[in-house]
Amino acid sequence: MTSIFLVGFLSGCQQVVSVDLNTANPRVVVEGTIKDQPGPYSVFLSMTGSYFDTTLVDPPISHAQVVISDDLGNRDTLNEVVSGTYQSSKLIGVSGRTYTLSVKAGGKNYMAISSMPPKVFIDSLYALPRHSVGGESGYDIYVVFKDPPSLGNYYRINARSSAVIPADSIDGKRYRLFTDKLTNGNEMTERIRAGRNVQSGDTITIELCSIDKASYDYFHTLSDILSSDRSPTSLSPANPNSNISGDALGYFAAFTVDTKKIIIP
Amino acid sequence: MRNGETGEALIGAMLVVKELPGTGVTSNAYGFYSLTFPEGFYTIFIQYLGYTTRKDTLHFYHNRLINFDLTPEPIRVGEVVISGERTNANVTSTDIGVNKLEVKEIQSIPVLLGEKDILKTIQLLPGIKSAGEGSTGFYARGGGTDQNLIVLDEAPIYNSSHLLGFLSVFNSDAIKDVKVITGGIPAEYGGRLSSVLDIRTNDGNNKEFGGSGGIGLLASRLTLEGPIVADQGSFIISGRRTYADLFFKLSSDTTINRASLYFYDLNMKANYTLGDKDRLFLSGYFGRDNFNYPNTFGFNWGNTTATLRWNHIFGDHLFSNTSFILSDYEYSNSIGVGTSQFDITSGIKDLNFKMDFQYFTNSQNTLKFGVNSIYHTFLPGTVTAGSTSFTNSLTIENRYALENAAYFSHELDVVSGVKLNYGLRFSIFNLLGPAHIYSYDESGAVVDTATYHSGDFIKTYTNLEPRVSANVLLDATSSIKASYTRTTQYLHLLSNSTTSNPSDLWVPSSTNVKPQLADQYDVGYFKNFNDNQFEASMEFYYKNMQNLIDYKNGADILLNQNVEALLLYGRGWSYGSELLVRKKYGQVTGWVAYTLSKTEEQFDQINNGLAFPARQDRTHDISVVAIYDYNSTWNFSATWVYNTGNAVTFPSGGYLLKAENRWIPLYTERNGYRMPAYHRLDLSATWKLGPRSNLNFSLYNAYDRMNAYSINFRQDPNNPDKTEAVQTTFFPIIPSVTYNFNF
Repeated sequence: MTSIFLVGFLSGCQQVVSVDLNTANPRVVVEGTIKDQPGPYSVFLSMTGSYFDTTLVDPPISHAQVVISDDLGNRDTLNEVVSGTYQSSKLIGVSGRTYTLSVKAGGKNYMAISSMPPKVFIDSLYALPRHSVGGESGYDIYVVFKDPPSLGNYYRINARSSAVIPADSIDGKRYRLFTDKLTNGNEMTERIRAGRNVQSGDTITIELCSIDKASYDYFHTLSDILSSDRSPTSLSPANPNSNISGDALGYFAAFTVDTKKIIIP
Repeated sequence: MRNGETGEALIGAMLVVKELPGTGVTSNAYGFYSLTFPEGFYTIFIQYLGYTTRKDTLHFYHNRLINFDLTPEPIRVGEVVISGERTNANVTSTDIGVNKLEVKEIQSIPVLLGEKDILKTIQLLPGIKSAGEGSTGFYARGGGTDQNLIVLDEAPIYNSSHLLGFLSVFNSDAIKDVKVITGGIPAEYGGRLSSVLDIRTNDGNNKEFGGSGGIGLLASRLTLEGPIVADQGSFIISGRRTYADLFFKLSSDTTINRASLYFYDLNMKANYTLGDKDRLFLSGYFGRDNFNYPNTFGFNWGNTTATLRWNHIFGDHLFSNTSFILSDYEYSNSIGVGTSQFDITSGIKDLNFKMDFQYFTNSQNTLKFGVNSIYHTFLPGTVTAGSTSFTNSLTIENRYALENAAYFSHELDVVSGVKLNYGLRFSIFNLLGPAHIYSYDESGAVVDTATYHSGDFIKTYTNLEPRVSANVLLDATSSIKASYTRTTQYLHLLSNSTTSNPSDLWVPSSTNVKPQLADQYDVGYFKNFNDNQFEASMEFYYKNMQNLIDYKNGADILLNQNVEALLLYGRGWSYGSELLVRKKYGQVTGWVAYTLSKTEEQFDQINNGLAFPARQDRTHDISVVAIYDYNSTWNFSATWVYNTGNAVTFPSGGYLLKAENRWIPLYTERNGYRMPAYHRLDLSATWKLGPRSNLNFSLYNAYDRMNAYSINFRQDPNNPDKTEAVQTTFFPIIPSVTYNFNF
């Protein structure tokens, strides 16, 4: 009896409610990435809208000047291919280089710097059936790799499935973030709880990204406000820690990616 | 002064002399009293709620030691209460912002699953607000949950929650007396900013062996007590354990049937009287929570305290109590599977020495003075990994500190009808070596490291804490009181969760972290009606707090040597009025409490430096408690609570992150929104099956209000092109039944 009660408590009862929200003055959102994979790389510029927006598309910012340069003096001015979407033409991301994004829009300047860390490769992947509380089925995927000897590596793992692509494929989140704070220099086995729709025969694609500290801070504080499960998202939710100067939202991240696939046995 | 049936010392029993109006004394925490008046024949009355008033005519000549035994009242049914039995101590004392709970009240108010819980029950008093449904944490007059000094038989308790806050660690069967102070905190208490919760446990019956217990849905309890040597010494052992996990054993699943989920606690106490002048007490508390799911995770935590106390009476007027106290809070968490498993442990340990004196000069003067010395050891975190684990072992350096204090207070009758209690507490805090102390720049980067060795004084803080309260009696049934209190807090609780989390970290004041300070002003009007049957009070307070702590966005508190670089410092203020009407005698007893208040905080780096409502800000807070002794078989109780929703941060806009394909909430002001109002009715009925057993039926949230535990904003999982607000409710209507017995 009591255990049923407790399980009842821990799961709680959820209902959609209507909440009156204000709409703040629009702010600039900058989103840009550069990887150690061939381009083109995209930078998106937009303005914020209301939270309960009917289309979930924010107004793009057109006619901006967007430049990505590296510490060796290479420079690429991005072209606006779709309204608010700017693409590089010649730049190639290289691990070890530091990249600078400069944006000029509406008479204001926005800037961000990101360093592309040394690449870390996936050694192997394996999958085992999951055993968890409440008998939830599914598979755990184990990502094996070697953390470099120096302290201060930051990782993000993305998972994609060939079948239904769950919106939040890892532990109910979009990605897994971790550092080598407790595991520096070790042979790592990171366990990923793939979505519950995953079945035998599905192909899972795993991306291991090496990101810099500023990007880690951004994604870490982003996931604080995105956890969609029952716990209060955060005590005092706040906008993610952006590395973009000029009071803009968003991020600019340079990172390396290693991709491997596994077929669920 | 003692209970005549069990020999239990009575706290706060009042002795008045009929022939000398205005002459009286109240027994202290150990049942001791002293009163001086001229020789002669006098009639004295001794009054204590729930006990038959004792009347004695005695010849008093030079110094006499008289022990009074009071007899508990039988169950009162529709009885006519004799006047003169009721005291007006609440009107005449200098206590302001002080509430006492009677054991009977705690016993009659079930809180959840039929369990009684003092930390939940005190949340029904004015000025004290729940930190959240299902939480034992509480806010006292706009203070944080870590600003409450919770002492069990003089030993500070660092984590007072079981089951992540559903229940407190205090087993109500073992409790004799509970006092909560949110206003004029007397000089003998220190170390926390906002309140004192002083809990005293039973001494045990020194006349005969006995026991009591209860079987509930969540936990079962058993208490045994009896004399060690009749009339000289007694012991009491009180234990409690939950048994949800016993059902796991029935599972055929080999993982589930090895899982554990339980807590237990054990209160033990023995006392021995050595002659008329000396009494020794040895008490201990052991409690532990254990959650373990094989091969996945496990965590357990617990408090251990041990107290050795010695009461000694010097001459006829000087009462002393000397205590040696050990407090230990430990938390451990194991993560991972098989050989890759690793354990994280953290905690805090105290060695505590206290000496307190009470000097009864005459009936117009009482002096209190004493010293307190605590040696703290902080263990912020250790990771222990097996040799095959991919985790490295790591220890965050311990911190050591010495917290000393000396105090005195003097209560006197200035003129007839005017009482003053003034006092001063002097506190010194030393952060001690060995330690590596870091200095940080604005961004939190380490700019300097200083190395200290064992015995080095790293940083010293001293503070003078004046405590003053006064009472002006307007007539026999009404008075005006006022107080000023300064408090200092040298220990800080770092937590990034609303619930009381076992991994919450206590840290000392240091070169980077300053002690928290509070100044509180309190005035109140106290009035009793209908021959003291009703007590009413209206208090107004203003509290100013300095050096409050908050966190940078995304602060990672766990296992971080540079945790001090993640902290932000600011100030806060709280003001409000509290109305209490309480009926103390009769078939129906209970109270109505209403608090109107505002609490704000200001941090330079939060909310653009603008003041914002604190999480503990609740505009309206109402509690109604009624206990009805219907007849000798049935007893009923009901409680109703209402409060304004918590101040929360909701999004004021949104934007799309294309790479994540996610609609991201945009936040503006901190705590700029409100949760829906919270209200709930609880009902309880106790059916006495006989003189030695009863059945209690209770209904939590009787009208099944869907109170919001949280409101989250997300993209609709079924339609990612839509956003929605989702409310979670944890506690719908919950019936329960408990069987209680004694023998």
